[in-house]
Amino acid sequence: MTRHLFKLVWNRKRTNGLMILEIFFSFLVVFVVSTLGIYFWDNYRQPLGYSWENVWRVSMEMNQGDQDGDDLKAERLKTLDRLLREAESLAPVESAAAAMVSPFDQGGWTSATTINGKSVDYEADAVTPKFADVMGLEVVSGRWFEEADSALAWDPVVIDQELARAVYGERDAVGQAFGEPAPSERSRRVVGVVREFRKGGELSARSNFLFENLRLDRASWFQPRSILVKVRPGTPAQFEEELTARLQAVAPEWSFRIKPLSQVRRATFRELLAPLAAGGTVAFFLLLMVALGLLGVLWQNLLQRTRELGLRRAAGASRAEVHRQVLWEQLILTSFGVLLGAVVVIQVPLLDLVGFIRPAVFAAGLLFAMAAIYLLSALCAVYPSALASRVQPAEALRYE
Amino acid sequence: MIRLDKVSKLYRTDRIETTALDNINLDVEKGELVSIMGPSGCGKSTLLNLMGLLDAPSNGRVELDGITINGQGDRALARVRNERIGFIFQQFHLVSDLSVVDNVEIPLLYRKMSNRDRRKAALAALDRVGLGSRTRHFPTQLSGGQQQRVAIARAIVGQPKILLADEPTGNLDSQMGDEIMDILEGLNRNEGTTVVMVTHDPRLAERTHRTVRLFDGRQVQ
Amino acid sequence: MIRNYLKVALKVLARRKFFTFISLFGISVTLLVLLVAAAVFDHALSPQEPETRSDRTLGVYDLAMTGPHNVQSSEPGYGFLERYVRPLAALPGVEALSFISTPQGAVAYLDGKKIESRLRRTDGEFWKILDFRFLEGGPFTPEDERDARFVAVINETTRGRFFGGRPAVGKTIEVDGQRFRVVGVVPDVPQLRFSSASDLWVPISTAKSKLYRDQWMGGFNALILARGRADLPAIRSEFQARLREAEKRLPDPKTYQTLSSGADTLFEAHIRQFSPGGHMNPPTPGRVKAVLFLLMLLFMLLPTLNLVNINLSRILDRASEIGVRKAFGASSRTLVGQFVIENLVITLLGAGLGLLLAVPVLSALNASGALPYARLAVNFRVFLYGLAMAVFFGVLSGVYPAWRMSKLHPVQALRGRSV
Repeated sequence: MTRHLFKLVWNRKRTNGLMILEIFFSFLVVFVVSTLGIYFWDNYRQPLGYSWENVWRVSMEMNQGDQDGDDLKAERLKTLDRLLREAESLAPVESAAAAMVSPFDQGGWTSATTINGKSVDYEADAVTPKFADVMGLEVVSGRWFEEADSALAWDPVVIDQELARAVYGERDAVGQAFGEPAPSERSRRVVGVVREFRKGGELSARSNFLFENLRLDRASWFQPRSILVKVRPGTPAQFEEELTARLQAVAPEWSFRIKPLSQVRRATFRELLAPLAAGGTVAFFLLLMVALGLLGVLWQNLLQRTRELGLRRAAGASRAEVHRQVLWEQLILTSFGVLLGAVVVIQVPLLDLVGFIRPAVFAAGLLFAMAAIYLLSALCAVYPSALASRVQPAEALRYE
Repeated sequence: MIRLDKVSKLYRTDRIETTALDNINLDVEKGELVSIMGPSGCGKSTLLNLMGLLDAPSNGRVELDGITINGQGDRALARVRNERIGFIFQQFHLVSDLSVVDNVEIPLLYRKMSNRDRRKAALAALDRVGLGSRTRHFPTQLSGGQQQRVAIARAIVGQPKILLADEPTGNLDSQMGDEIMDILEGLNRNEGTTVVMVTHDPRLAERTHRTVRLFDGRQVQ
Repeated sequence: MIRNYLKVALKVLARRKFFTFISLFGISVTLLVLLVAAAVFDHALSPQEPETRSDRTLGVYDLAMTGPHNVQSSEPGYGFLERYVRPLAALPGVEALSFISTPQGAVAYLDGKKIESRLRRTDGEFWKILDFRFLEGGPFTPEDERDARFVAVINETTRGRFFGGRPAVGKTIEVDGQRFRVVGVVPDVPQLRFSSASDLWVPISTAKSKLYRDQWMGGFNALILARGRADLPAIRSEFQARLREAEKRLPDPKTYQTLSSGADTLFEAHIRQFSPGGHMNPPTPGRVKAVLFLLMLLFMLLPTLNLVNINLSRILDRASEIGVRKAFGASSRTLVGQFVIENLVITLLGAGLGLLLAVPVLSALNASGALPYARLAVNFRVFLYGLAMAVFFGVLSGVYPAWRMSKLHPVQALRGRSV
């Protein structure tokens, strides 16, 4: 029977071709939206590596420019040091640290190192030693930066487990040199490994991460733009005003804006999920439209075919068999479209077109899209196939 | 073989009630070749549909092989049609999107059998109607007579005991009509198939064992 | 003839209610999405208050420095603009020239409540280039800028936040640790209009530090108002000449050797900002329009297929009508015409429905705050876009089914399909 139905669908390819094409594009739409949704959900389940509760971000505007000389830069870092001390002197503040890039910032600083001829990308940040306390980082081996690190003849770095695995494999990363220094640069050495650090927040993918020690006692090209402040639980929002005033007093030429990381996080979520929500809404209506269209077309096609169905009944098919046949035909039709879609979609991981999506997420998206399209198509076929099975053979075969 | 006992058929449309068949008693014996004649709209096709279990009578009893058919479920009726009855129509009613052999296979699809046996049976049936060489064609590529022969092949492929033909030659010229009649006659004579045929053509009716005449839903003789 | 077609079309639509419903649903949803997109584009690009002269305004929004190994791109710095763009003011075709900083977050605390605003620094000429309608007071002047007076123009929302909507001119406002005297209040400008939108505008010279004056990169835009549209090419080419001159005096000639920038219209500025690689080599507006058109086609693909499928089934349903028409002498071309017109009728009906739906959707979008200060609306231009898209959609989805219909053989059509 299946073979017979395949033939029937195939021989009607002119009528069915456009339906298959429609199913194919619907499949692509569902696939794109669901894969993105699953991608975010999958990211959300992964450990974040730090805690954002009771951490406030102070963004600083300091008129830095491309013409700034070393003395200006050194002066700026000294001011920053005074700002950190000022913040920590206030009772509600537990600790404060400066960073080039703040958690939940999208974009930022990315770099790469070459290991055995293979390039390993990583994200990076330069932070002061208190950063680990402020963000509650978990050091799994070695140690975090210390004030005494300033005395070292090399630059210490702390990396996360992902980067450690990518660069050193099973070997212990602590104590190893990191990358080849350029002639004028100091060498870098790993002093510790943290469990995880996903700077972009819960919705961003896991990535390799590296911390540089931000020293405030000499000029460097690091230009910190944020101070992160851990406040005691229950600190009222009004403290923002006092903190701003105190910082402003230390650096009158700078501008300060304070925002709790919880708010930054919420804004990040909104920013990343809004396009998905908009796309999802549009996709939903497109699918509803397709479903109604398929329902109509199927219905109309069956009206055209009443005589064929009547003939089948005369030839000894029961109602249930006609019903099943129509459902099967629709499933075969759908399978053509879905198969075509799967063939196209599978090229994406095969050709590595979208690197940041894991194959598992990809497969989940594919399965979801398949399930959704089959369900949609079956739903569209339920009513017309029930109608089809009610065809009266005597009526259908009456000659006009 | 087939017995209609005081069978009536009424059609209700909105407020008007039409009597299509009125108190028909008819016995068709095994191996008979019967023709049904009458003017248009006299209920010939309705009678054939009742015999073929495509329709249920409003009153009376339809008996097939001594078994009363009235009130049987859809599944059981489908089974009887599939195994015992073959239909031939004036309009041929071939599925245009299926090749000749696929059309012939249709009744066998509703039986449990292997694809290979189905194909074999269909080819054999086509051989018997003299179309063994045209199995891959599509219905539109055949002449009317050839199409009707395909339809006969489809009707006999399941080796039914009864063939019901509704003006099988109505759409054909007289020469092709004779050919079709030859085939039906041959089936009746050689295989012992019971054939009931509705026709307008007195020449064909003469070639049958007996003729049932209908007028306004009543049996005339 | 056309009247006859229309009559048949409406009758067919009324007879097959379910099909009419699903067709209308698909069309209206499709056009709704397209209309919302068109409204956003129109809102971002069309001339509107205060950018009523945008057709003869050019802006320098972006500067890229390129070397063999390095690329740096951001807004131009004040130092660069002062040296290489200021001289354009001497051109006869230039009516006014202004510098304006990019928006900067500015926080204020009022009775323990935090108010976050966007603040831009600009000069007195800015108010001549843009056509602000002042709700009270007026703009600050070139003298205010020269003497670094702490004056501010604020928008309506800011007046509401700081003064509860009461008259604000003459009162002081403290943001980001600085105190300004309010001199004027203007209506809110949608944030999409990145050359004019802000909450507060204050003189450039009131900046906390004077370091900005020497910078090549970062933080400032220039706006150039031409006397007429005919003057734009001369201004553009003079700007490019100045850019070549600037290349000879780059601050770090070892790392960077070339400069790329443009005196852009609003549309070109958007292209430069949003297209990949646009900072150095922006695609032409024509190309971008072609890409946008292709994107629209891509979006229309599924709805079109859907409508084509529905139309094909409708046609088969009407095979006998077509047979009769053919038998009585209708040519294939007449039939194609008839069906395309029928399809246009339903598409336009759907478009009308989409237009009706767009009104609440757009006002919901305005209210959501996703686009700050947005006043998205179906105006005449958007309506015309919608009409054009509907006609395009109608023809696109009607032609193939009509062709199939005209190919139906009259005899077969009269008999209906075999089985």
